[in-house]
Amino acid sequence: MAAHEKPDLPAHRNLFRMILAPTIWAIHFLLAYCTAAIWCAKDLGDPDTLTLVVTGYTVAAEVAIVFLGLKMWTQWDYLDDYDYVHSESTDEHRREFLGHAGFMLACLSFVAVIFNTMPVWFAGTCL
Amino acid sequence: MRPLVLPAAAILAIALAGCRGPQSALDPAGADASSLASLFWVMLAGAVVLWLLMNGLIFYAWRAKPRPISSKAARILIFGGGVVFPTFVLFFLLAYGLSMMPDQRAPGEGLRVEVTGEQWWFRVAYWPEGASEPIHSANEIVLPVGVRSEITLKADQVIHSFWLPSIAGKTDMFPGRVTRMSLLPTEPGEFRGQCAEFCGESHAWMAFTARTMTPDDFAAWVEAEAAPAAVPETDLQARGLDVFLSEGCGGCHAIRGTPARGRVGPDLTHLASRGNLAAGALKVTVPDLIAWISHPEAIKPGAKMPAFDHLPREDIAAMAAYLESLE
Repeated sequence: MAAHEKPDLPAHRNLFRMILAPTIWAIHFLLAYCTAAIWCAKDLGDPDTLTLVVTGYTVAAEVAIVFLGLKMWTQWDYLDDYDYVHSESTDEHRREFLGHAGFMLACLSFVAVIFNTMPVWFAGTCL
Repeated sequence: MRPLVLPAAAILAIALAGCRGPQSALDPAGADASSLASLFWVMLAGAVVLWLLMNGLIFYAWRAKPRPISSKAARILIFGGGVVFPTFVLFFLLAYGLSMMPDQRAPGEGLRVEVTGEQWWFRVAYWPEGASEPIHSANEIVLPVGVRSEITLKADQVIHSFWLPSIAGKTDMFPGRVTRMSLLPTEPGEFRGQCAEFCGESHAWMAFTARTMTPDDFAAWVEAEAAPAAVPETDLQARGLDVFLSEGCGGCHAIRGTPARGRVGPDLTHLASRGNLAAGALKVTVPDLIAWISHPEAIKPGAKMPAFDHLPREDIAAMAAYLESLE
């Protein structure tokens, strides 16, 4: 249990923060695939440039996901109280649960965005 | 255990027999098929290692009665084995698979073959480099060895899929859309391809033969294939051509060098030089031709060609004799 209480934090009610990282993953997926589809259909230029553009999306997405992941890590405050289970109906447990889940979703999104980008890195062709 | 050895060996022998033959992705005769076969073996080896590892762990936990480990070590094992390890394995496998794709879809170097999926046969048009008009054929793909040929794929009414596993992977064919692939045969030989997308009642009867040959042999083949059909040499064959024309077969089929110019059905100009009749359903022999002309739908359900069983038997036999001479 926590050594000190943090009541009435808005974080314990904020579901949106938890799903922000997967939302960035989804937006990155759409942007990357739509850009590649339009680029190849309209023959907008060299596939290497397309690779650079999509890699740019990836860097931007990863920076945002890392930032959100750190925020979620702070919200979970694992190193503060080493709470791994958040089963109580208290604001603190809700906040930590949302932080814990948000942090793990951010980790998943980080890896997923790399996987989204792999086709242009390893098969970067419009053929 | 011993009574199981013989049945297991028999099942293994039957299963392994499927690895060879003219239509096997595991017996490649093309550069792309070789890459795919390598991919398969690498994946299989990896799967076997993982299977042994996981079952080894289960065996260790279940039968070897291990000592308890600390919850921290368990957490590291679960996180490392359940998250980190699969993430890296998937990354490297995906990178390995994806890096093969550009070669698989490299542009052709000269010959272009346009293949259109019909119900239920393959319309084939060869465009040798510099050609102003194609050479029409059907249900057979002939390619030079050592040269990457461009394959343009279309479909008439429904979706089909072009699959020649000994040479390369498969590519779907869509009505109203042109897809492409390229084939680089590495060995001369005869192979079999198959429509790999369910396309109606005779989907299973929609196959084609493929022949790969040296560039010199291929040049000679193109010259022969572009030539008009053989002139009937016997009275029976001449009668067969007369029946063919008088019964209106030329409304659907073309035989270059004769008034038959139909484009609804397969081009028959060099039918007898192809390895199959009716898209792999039959051989080009007189009995098979008689059977096909008499009752196409009995052989291929849904076939659009009408039955000609109302003709005298002699006329059908003459037509079969003529068609069988079209080398």
